[in-house]
Amino acid sequence: MNPADAVLQGQALQVATFAEWREAARELLQAGIPPEAVTWGSPGDGGDLFSGAPAPAAAPHNAPVRLQQPKPAPHQPPHVPPHVPRSLLDMLQAAACYREPDRWAFLYRVIWRWQQGEHDVQSPADPDGARLQAMVKAVRREEHDMHAYIRFRERPPEAGPPRFVAWFEPRHDVLPQVAEHFVSRMGKLSWMIATPEASVLWDGATLHNCGPLMSSAADLDDSGEALWLTYYRSIFNPARVNASLLQSHIPSRFWKNLPEGALVPSMVSQAGLGARRIGQVQTVGRRSGATIPIAPEAAQPEREQPSKLDECRRCELWQSATQAVGGEGPKKARIMVVGEQPGDQEDLAGAPFVGPAGKLLDRVFEEAGLDRKSVYLTNAVKHFKWEPRGKRRLHKTPAQREIEACHYWLEKELAATKPKVIVAMGATALKSVLQQGNVTLKDKLGRPVRHGDSWVVTIYHPSYVLRVPDEAAKQEAFKVMVAGLRLAQELLERPEITEPDTAR
Amino acid sequence: MELSDKLEILADAAKYDASCASSGAPKRGSEGKDGLGATNGMGICHSYTPDGRCVSLLKILLTNFCIYDCQYCINRRSSNVPRARFSVEEVVKLTHDFYVRNYIDGLFLSSGIIRSADYTMEQLVAVARQLREVHQFRGYIHLKTIPDADPLLIEEAGRWADRLSVNIELPTHDSVTRLAPEKNVHTIKLAMGSIRRKLDEKAEEPKAPSFAPAGQSTQMIVGADASDDHTILNTAETLYGSYKLKRVYYSAFSPIPQSPRSVPAAPPPLLREHRLYQADFLLRGYGFTASELMPASGNLALDVDPKLAWALANREHFPMDLNRADASMIARIPGIGLRNAKRLVELRRLRRIRWEDLSRLRCSLKKLAPFVVTADYKPAQGATDSSILRRHLADAPQQMNLWPELQAA
Ligand code: SF4
Repeated sequence: MNPADAVLQGQALQVATFAEWREAARELLQAGIPPEAVTWGSPGDGGDLFSGAPAPAAAPHNAPVRLQQPKPAPHQPPHVPPHVPRSLLDMLQAAACYREPDRWAFLYRVIWRWQQGEHDVQSPADPDGARLQAMVKAVRREEHDMHAYIRFRERPPEAGPPRFVAWFEPRHDVLPQVAEHFVSRMGKLSWMIATPEASVLWDGATLHNCGPLMSSAADLDDSGEALWLTYYRSIFNPARVNASLLQSHIPSRFWKNLPEGALVPSMVSQAGLGARRIGQVQTVGRRSGATIPIAPEAAQPEREQPSKLDECRRCELWQSATQAVGGEGPKKARIMVVGEQPGDQEDLAGAPFVGPAGKLLDRVFEEAGLDRKSVYLTNAVKHFKWEPRGKRRLHKTPAQREIEACHYWLEKELAATKPKVIVAMGATALKSVLQQGNVTLKDKLGRPVRHGDSWVVTIYHPSYVLRVPDEAAKQEAFKVMVAGLRLAQELLERPEITEPDTAR
Repeated sequence: MELSDKLEILADAAKYDASCASSGAPKRGSEGKDGLGATNGMGICHSYTPDGRCVSLLKILLTNFCIYDCQYCINRRSSNVPRARFSVEEVVKLTHDFYVRNYIDGLFLSSGIIRSADYTMEQLVAVARQLREVHQFRGYIHLKTIPDADPLLIEEAGRWADRLSVNIELPTHDSVTRLAPEKNVHTIKLAMGSIRRKLDEKAEEPKAPSFAPAGQSTQMIVGADASDDHTILNTAETLYGSYKLKRVYYSAFSPIPQSPRSVPAAPPPLLREHRLYQADFLLRGYGFTASELMPASGNLALDVDPKLAWALANREHFPMDLNRADASMIARIPGIGLRNAKRLVELRRLRRIRWEDLSRLRCSLKKLAPFVVTADYKPAQGATDSSILRRHLADAPQQMNLWPELQAA
């Protein structure tokens, strides 16, 4: 008889699993039967999934049916009432594990209301929704606690499988899904979890559903447990004792089956008896100690001498950077290209122009027919200046005082290299090279100027090209950079005529 | 020495490390496979000790012999503590035996520095390699990286471990130089940087061999030097930004037997550590910046949590209309967490939010009352002065919940 007919004849609907309920609910909904008209019952009593005989397979949860023995209903509709979203279905399925006599009726009321368009039945702000969420939460919590607080005890190999046995008293019908968790965790080892209502056995390849087998914690002697208790005692820091917090994390009903539970009272009282000030566990403190006889100099790790640059404290930028990034290239390069400052990638790598701006610069070099390896490439400021933006570092333009402070290092590089042409990329580089705080990029773009014994050519900074949103402007800026590098090469060929410095 | 004696000493020596999370690893399982272990990304606390801290990993030192002399550390060479050393096989066996009994989710292995940074790092790597290769262990592994070790060793460590960490130790360069003379912030940063580069590379090249999929973290000791919370939070923010850390752990300095005179004899109030965790959570989860939470030098308030402190100092944003405000701003209202902020925004699509909704969502009504406007509720307009409000809302003095956020990362 189909559920709708049964209801019409005033019978109680017997369902034992979520799958059965789902099927019945679908037909009732299609027949338009309201919740008030339905009486739900479970085989046995009290809505207990496991009581009564024959025991149904523990209801599979979100996972393919794998428990052997009784097969589930042969045909399963692809989805129950049309238009029920996955999220609601998942909630209903979880709530079905909540041990409460009226669970099937309640679930039907929820889905009925949903079908009537009352979509906030899922929301915690709705009374039914609040109850549904509370049930789901309690079931998830129970699953979680069972994952966490089951303790397996090892059985001697000669006793045969299962090698590991655990006892647990779950409040809700979560054993099937919890068993899945341990299948994934234990590989081919065999184990059994017993609960007052049912047991599952994993033989290394298949799960078996065994019905109730034991009535208390497995009384097994496992020598491995002693090590665990030792660990538990030693990892505790008596200086931080906080027993009420302990109780709030693990509800007391679990403690009786946790081997470490018996230790807690004495640990708490010992901590109270004076150990409170010191973190060390008493048993460790009582042993004889040993200092390590080694001279401080001998203990120093071998490190490369930090470079002078890395030890620079001329401004504050070193604080938030990883390392200083110096220049790179032939000592006597005839062209020196100066950028602004290292970026995120350069800061990590310790080399200039390795990030996105560096990639772009490579293309500019190629286009201009200049070998990157033949030039000396450096930055006006040697430490990365940035500000946090979420978990990213956002480049920040160095301030004039930082440019000035760091000019010390650029000056050294210039003095050592004596380039004939300096290419300044962007305003910061230009300010540093010319040592003028008020010079702007626009003044000098495309117009080479003499500075000391060198020519200074000004181009955009590659990051500028990356930043410009408009494609045409991007192309244009790229061209300016290429032209600048070409000009730099031409200038190399120019005879040394002394020209008045056109810089203001 | 018996295994249990070593365990006693080397667990005791490891407990000053605050990290205990086992989350963030990719999903792995052992069904139908040799070996054992699974990770589901969430991490599970398998027990709690009477200090309220969770046990999710076997947290031990490979050895507490150490040639360094860090003043805040119980294992420093001049400290007169009992010493012990595990063999690689012993750690592997302990991990396996604990795991199979469901005591732990995996291993967190650290070590005193013996002989050299490289030698020590090799030993740590050997444990992880043996667990993964010989025993097909798929549980969680966290290795504490020795900063001066060869980058190739760090790279190998990342192959076996789910998480790597390098401890920054103290909030400022000066403190590290003074209290940890053999350590060096420069090399610590370089090690963090090299780990981040490997993580970035891996992210760009999904087919590359796995590298520390649960990312990297660090730890800062609080209260061993004079740094204030302003400095600490700024250092944390800098580290998060620079090295994309998953977590910064704050460990309130614990006085140790025969403490050297360079460190304080008393611990900082544990509540301070708690406030730092709350503030850190606001940095990571809520989009607050360190300068918003701590605009000037000093310490976080102890009487109110950092979010409430911020709201009291920024009354111009309040009261906020829950039916209008941005989701990210709603999350900034005291008493409303991230999840409830999201729920409110969802609910708002269906209908207008009323006072009753807030109580159904179990928001902290007392806290939020002065800061919100709903369809049917409005606080008395600007009536209450912040200092009165603060007295009204301050936490009752009590032992605080120290580690609620530790699981969340
Ligand atoms: S940015 Fe330049 S001046 Fe400032 S600390 Fe770094 S190297 Fe020194």
